Amino acid sequence: MRKQTLSLAAVAAGAALALSACGGVQTTAGGGSDSGDYPTGSVNMPVGASAGGSSDLISRQVSRGLSEELGGSFPVINREGANGALAAAEVAKAEPDGSTISVQNASLFAITPLAVPEDQVTSIDDFDVVQGVSRDDYVLVASKGSGFDSIESFQDADGKVTYGTTGVGTGAQLACALTFNVNDTPAEAIPFDGGAPALTALLGDQVDTACLQVGEAIENIRSGKILPIVVFGPERVEFLPDVPTAQESGLDVEVAQYRFMTVPKGTPQDVKDSIAEAMQATFETSEYQDFNEQNNLTPMEISGDEVVTQLEEDKQRYADLVEEYGIDLGDAS
Amino acid sequence: MSETQPRPAPGADQGASDVDHEHDILAEIKAEVAQDLADERPPAGGPAYQVASALFVLLVGLAGAWLAYGYGIGSLRRPGPGLWPFIVSCLIVVLAVVLLVVGRHLDDTEKFTRSSLLVAVGAATFVALGFLLPVVGFEIPAVLLGIVWLRFLGGESWRSTIVISVLTTAAFYGLFLYALSVPLPHLIAL
Amino acid sequence: MDFSAFLDGFGVVTQPGNLLYCLIGVVVGMLIGVLPGLGPAATMAILLPVVYSAHDPVAAIIMLAGIYYGAQYGGTITSVLLRIPGEASSVVTVFDGFALAKQGKAGTALGIAAIGSFIGATISIIGLTLLGPLVAEFALDFGPPEYAALALLGVLLVATIGNGNTVKALAAAAIGLLLATVGSDSFTSADRFTFGSLNLEDGIDFVVVAMGLFGVGEILYNLEERHGKPHVPAAIANIWPSRKDLKEAGPAIGRGSFIGFVLGVLPGGGAVMASLAAYAAEKRVAKDPSRFGRGAIEGVAGPESANNAAATSSFIPLLTIGIPANASMAMLYAALLVVGVTPGPQLIDERPDLFWGVVNSMYIGNLILLLLSIPLVGIFVRILRVRPAILAPITALITILGVYTIRNSVFDIFLMIFFGVVGYLMKKFGFEPGPMVLAFVLGSLIESSFRRSMLIFEGDASGFVTRPISGTILAFVVLVIAFPLIKRALRRKTPDTDTTPETVQREDSLR
Repeated sequence: MRKQTLSLAAVAAGAALALSACGGVQTTAGGGSDSGDYPTGSVNMPVGASAGGSSDLISRQVSRGLSEELGGSFPVINREGANGALAAAEVAKAEPDGSTISVQNASLFAITPLAVPEDQVTSIDDFDVVQGVSRDDYVLVASKGSGFDSIESFQDADGKVTYGTTGVGTGAQLACALTFNVNDTPAEAIPFDGGAPALTALLGDQVDTACLQVGEAIENIRSGKILPIVVFGPERVEFLPDVPTAQESGLDVEVAQYRFMTVPKGTPQDVKDSIAEAMQATFETSEYQDFNEQNNLTPMEISGDEVVTQLEEDKQRYADLVEEYGIDLGDAS
Repeated sequence: MSETQPRPAPGADQGASDVDHEHDILAEIKAEVAQDLADERPPAGGPAYQVASALFVLLVGLAGAWLAYGYGIGSLRRPGPGLWPFIVSCLIVVLAVVLLVVGRHLDDTEKFTRSSLLVAVGAATFVALGFLLPVVGFEIPAVLLGIVWLRFLGGESWRSTIVISVLTTAAFYGLFLYALSVPLPHLIAL
Repeated sequence: MDFSAFLDGFGVVTQPGNLLYCLIGVVVGMLIGVLPGLGPAATMAILLPVVYSAHDPVAAIIMLAGIYYGAQYGGTITSVLLRIPGEASSVVTVFDGFALAKQGKAGTALGIAAIGSFIGATISIIGLTLLGPLVAEFALDFGPPEYAALALLGVLLVATIGNGNTVKALAAAAIGLLLATVGSDSFTSADRFTFGSLNLEDGIDFVVVAMGLFGVGEILYNLEERHGKPHVPAAIANIWPSRKDLKEAGPAIGRGSFIGFVLGVLPGGGAVMASLAAYAAEKRVAKDPSRFGRGAIEGVAGPESANNAAATSSFIPLLTIGIPANASMAMLYAALLVVGVTPGPQLIDERPDLFWGVVNSMYIGNLILLLLSIPLVGIFVRILRVRPAILAPITALITILGVYTIRNSVFDIFLMIFFGVVGYLMKKFGFEPGPMVLAFVLGSLIESSFRRSMLIFEGDASGFVTRPISGTILAFVVLVIAFPLIKRALRRKTPDTDTTPETVQREDSLR
C-alpha cells in the first residue's frame, strides 16, 4: 500500500511540475504588463509591515488611488519581517513587468545598514524608484515626571537620562542616540517593540524621554500629558508649530522617515510613468490629502531620482555621524 | 487521546476510579468508556526511550548554551544578546540531567510500531504540498493530499475520496480567494 | 460619567443600520476565529476600506470592533473540537475543552465557553463603562520590571498545567523559552539561532508553533493510533450544559471575568496571561486538581471568560489614552483616524457619540454572539461525528493554508510541519506540548522586560524587589513556589489529615 502511495505521489509531482512549466500560477487574478495599457491584471503590493502600521496604511491608501486612476486591483500583501527586508527581497526578485510594486521606507536603506550585519543589508540598487510619497517626522518627547522641557534642561539631569526608542535600526533610535551624543548628555537607550509600548512607558514615567513618530505622540502632546522638546525634520512640523527643530536648538541632527514607490530593477519606462502619473493624480485628491493630515504625514511628492539622491545623501550623513560619535546602533560589526 | 490523560500505572486503577466519587456516576461511566476506547495504546517504551529523550533535551540545552555564549553574554548592566538564551539553556541542561537520573522508570512513553511509518508518509504529504504550493498553486496539491489521506491512509472508498477532496478544495478556493480575498497561489482564475 | 451621553450611545447602536453592521462584524469575526491563521487584525485590514464607503463611519467602527471580539468566540470552537487554538489566549482552553470533546461533551464545553465569554465580556464592558479611565492609569504603573515579574509568574503557572511529569513539563517550557529567542534580538539586532535565514529574522509566529505542536501533531498521532481500529463515533450527549455544569462553572466564570478584566488592560500579552492565570486559579481552588486536563468544565469556563473579558478591557488603553494594546487595536486606531478621530484622552469629550456608540455596541454584539452560539454549537459538534479519516485531511488543509495566510510565506508551512513532527514525537516520548507553547508565548515578554529593567536599573537587580508592584508580584511568585513544598512537608508529617491513601498513591503514580 505504501508503495502505491509513493508512486502516486511521484506521478502527481511530475504532472504538477509539467503544469508549472506552462507558468500558470498566480497569487491573484491576473499578471503583469508588457505593453502600454498598464495594468492588464492585478498588481501585488507587498508591504514590509504588519496591518495597522503607518507603512501599511500608506500602502493601502496608495493602492486605493492607483486602482481608481488605472483600474484593476492593487492588493496590499503584508509581508512583515526584518524592518521590511523580506518584502524588499520579494520585490527585488519579482518579474520586472509592473506586476509587483511596493511602497518602501527610507530607514531600511539608510539606517538599517548601520545596525545589521553586512549580508543582511538591502541595497536601493536592486530597485527603480518611481515616486516619492510622504515624510513621517520624529519628535523627542519627555514625560511630565522627568522635569525636562527643552534641550538645555538636560544639563540638570542627575544620573543617566533614559530614552525609549521604537526599536533597533529605526530612525527613532538614531535620532535620540544622536541627540544625546551631540548634546553630551549621559543617556541609556531602552528599546521597545514599536511606538505604542514606548509611548506607554513614557506616559507611565518608566522612561524619561522617547523618540516617536509625530502621529503616535501628537494626541498626548495636545492633552499635555507629555512634552515635546524638538522635532528632527529639516523644518518645523505643521502639526506642532511651536516645537523647534533640532537644528534650531543648536544640534546638528536631522532624521526623517520617508516612503517612496519602488519597482523591480529593469521595469519598462512606460509602466513606471503610468504608476507615477497615477500617483500624482492621487496626491491631488482631497481624500488623500485628508489621509495625510489625519496621519500627520508631510507630503514628499518628489521624483524617483530625487528620492535616490536624498537616500544616498542621508545614508552617508548618518554613517558619518554614527562614526563621529561612536554610536553603537546594533550589531553591524 | 490527548496526552494530558496519562495512563494510570498498573495497580493505581482502583485509586483513579475512586477519586471523583462526589460526581454523578453516569458522567463518570461515560468518561471511563471514552477513556478505555482511547487507551488502547502501544506499550510503553521503557527506560531506553526515557534515556534517549533526556539525552536529546540535554543536547538541545548544550547546543543552545554553546551558541548563546557565542552571541555575547554581556553584563547585568548591559545584558548581551546571549545572556538570556544562555540562562535558559543552562536550565534546560539541569532539567535534562534531572530527567536522566530520576526519569528512567517513568512509563509515559510509547513504543514505535509499524504503523508509525504511516506518520512519516503523512508528514511527507504535507511537505510535498508545501513544495508544490508556490509552483502549481494550491488546487492540485490539495486534491492529491485529500486522495492520499482519504484513500490510502484512511481507507475510504474511491467515490467518497474523489467527492470529498474536490469539494473541500473548491470550498477553500471560494473561502480564501473570494470570501476573504487572500492572495493564495492558485492555478484556476475565475 | 455623563449618563445621558451613555444612553445616547444606545440610541446610536440601535439604529437598524448600525445593528446590521454589528451583526456582520461579529459573524465575520466568528468565522475568521474558526479559521486558523487569518487573525482579526488581518481581516480588519482587508475590510478597512468599508470605513470609507459606509453610510456612517461609526457603523463601520462598530463592525470592525465586532470582528475583534467575535473572533474570540470563534477561536474557542477549533480549540475544543480540533485542538487547534487560533489565538494565543485560547491555548489553555485546549486542555480541558478537547478532553471534554473526546468524552462526547463538546456541546457542554462550547456552551459553557459561550456563556462564560458572554458574561466575561459583559462584566468587562461594565467595568470599561464605569472605570475605564481609572484602570488605564493603573496600567501605566506597569513598567518593564512589573512585566518581567508578571511573566515570570506566568511561566511558573505554565508548569502547573497538565498532569504529566513535572520535570518533563518544565523541560518543555524551558525549550519553549529558548524557541522564543529565535530571530533578530530586538535590543542589539544580533541574529540568534536563525542560521542565516531571513525568514527566521523576525522570530517564529505563535500560530506556527501552536498549530504545529497541537494541530498537526494531533493529526499525525491519530494517524498511527487509528490504524486498524473501527471508528466509534463519540457519543454527543448533553448538547446544552446541564444545571450541574452551570453550577460548577459559575464561580469559575466570575473569577475568570475579574482576572481577565484586570490583566487585559495591560498592553501586550495581557489576554494570554489572563487566560493562563484564570486556569491556574481554577486548578488551585479546585477540590480535586487532578481532574484538570481530563475534562474539568472549570478549565474551560475560567480561561474563556478571562480571555473575552481581557479582549474587551484591551479597548480601555485605546479609547482613553490612545494606545493600541495589540495589532487588532492598532487597526481600530487606523480606522478611527480614517473617520477623522485620533484616539486619545479627549475622545470621550469630543466624540461622545462615537465613544459610547462603540462601547455600547459591545453589549449588543456580545448578546448577538451568545444567541448565535446556541444554535451553532449544535451544528459545530456534529463535526465530531465525521469519521476521523475524513476530518484529518480537511483539518490538515485548513492549518496548512491558514498558516500560509499569516505572512504569505511557504517557509512558515514547512516550519509548522516541523513542529507537527516535534509535537508527535513529544507525545511518543511523554512530553506535553502545552507548556512549550505557553512558555513560547510568554518568552519574549519575559526576556525583553527583564533586559529593559536591567537597563533602567543600571544593572542593580534589587530594583525588582523595591518597586511596590513588582515586589508584590515577586512575593506572590515565592508563595507559588513555596506553597506546594510546605504542603508536602506538612503532609509527610501527618499523612492522614487531608488526603486518603488512595489519592497519595495515585499522585505518585502520575509522577
